[in-house]
Amino acid sequence: MIVNASQKTDPSHPDSSDRPDGHRVTRYVGSGALRLGAFALVWWALTGGAVDSWLVGLPTVLIATLISLALVPPFSWSLTGFVYFLPFFVWQSLRGGTDVAWRAFHPQIPINPGIVKYPLLLPPGLPRVFLINTVSLLPGTLSAELEPDELIVHALDTEQNVLAELKVVEQVVARLFAISLKNGERNRNVQTN
Amino acid sequence: MTLINGLSAVLLIAGSVFFLAGTLGLLRFPDIYTRLHALTKADNLGLGLIVMGLAAQSQSWATVGKLLLIWVLVMFAAASVSQLIAGRALQRGIRPWKR
Amino acid sequence: MHILYLALALFLLLNLIAGMYRVLRGPTVADRMLAAQLFGTTSVAILLLLAQAANQPALLDVALVFALLAAVTAVAFVRRAWPGAEANHDPH
Repeated sequence: MIVNASQKTDPSHPDSSDRPDGHRVTRYVGSGALRLGAFALVWWALTGGAVDSWLVGLPTVLIATLISLALVPPFSWSLTGFVYFLPFFVWQSLRGGTDVAWRAFHPQIPINPGIVKYPLLLPPGLPRVFLINTVSLLPGTLSAELEPDELIVHALDTEQNVLAELKVVEQVVARLFAISLKNGERNRNVQTN
Repeated sequence: MTLINGLSAVLLIAGSVFFLAGTLGLLRFPDIYTRLHALTKADNLGLGLIVMGLAAQSQSWATVGKLLLIWVLVMFAAASVSQLIAGRALQRGIRPWKR
Repeated sequence: MHILYLALALFLLLNLIAGMYRVLRGPTVADRMLAAQLFGTTSVAILLLLAQAANQPALLDVALVFALLAAVTAVAFVRRAWPGAEANHDPH
């Protein structure tokens, strides 16, 4: 996810600064354990489960975890949000792919493209980067630029209600990151790590 | 076994159809932005279907994992690259095509 | 199944060649940039099919490297070869 180096997670999240140090340590340990597992899984897939490869794999996975913790500090996310996001994403990608394929095959090329500006509710940092990438892979929309509180989107068909669709996507991403968006204002609602 | 073969053949062929759609869009769509739509969406779905078709055939879970890893990587690359190209094109003042 | 893998790989190769028309033709620099996107996905798909057809799992690793390189080259290309805002129109 290469979007902009300056858009990394904001280290001054309210939930990491106004809580005692002990809480922060548990966050790092919990998130570190999770990422260690994830990287180990990747190593296992890459090496096809060869047992002796772990001689190199173990230190690699450890270093990868430490580097990832340094680059992207622990963030809040919710498991139900994740379980909700996956089928949503798969279904929308299928829709997006068939939609654009239909337009490409059609003799008249039925498109009506244009630029749409979407006012963002999500807080800056990882959730926004994630939203931008998701939007680019979903039906009829392509993120083009990020302005301070607006996402510039190129839409393939401006006759459809692009803003309403983007709102739904933003809600799903917000749920994934355990953030609740209440009409127009941001409200962080920290759950599990 | 033949059932799996049939399923995987259907997935592979469907995936290739999406690649064809991506190529058609690339050739027929009027400007850089719409062509990006065609390439990123159709080709990613095409690759996804081909990955599924091959995963159904594969002998080990590690291979399935590697196939999925490749797909996820390509998706992240496609999303970031398309955004980078579209953003830079806008910056350079390339006007989006209008009907 | 074997023939299907090879036929589809060939079909995707033809797609890649057809797409090259756009890359060579332009008309804008941005259109040429699409080559990265095109090769990134299509060549990976071809390699995956060939890996299965030839029963050469090592080709999966080649596909993995292609996927990684496609992203890196595109980013480098956009950043280096196609600098931003100073010009107001694209010099084709």
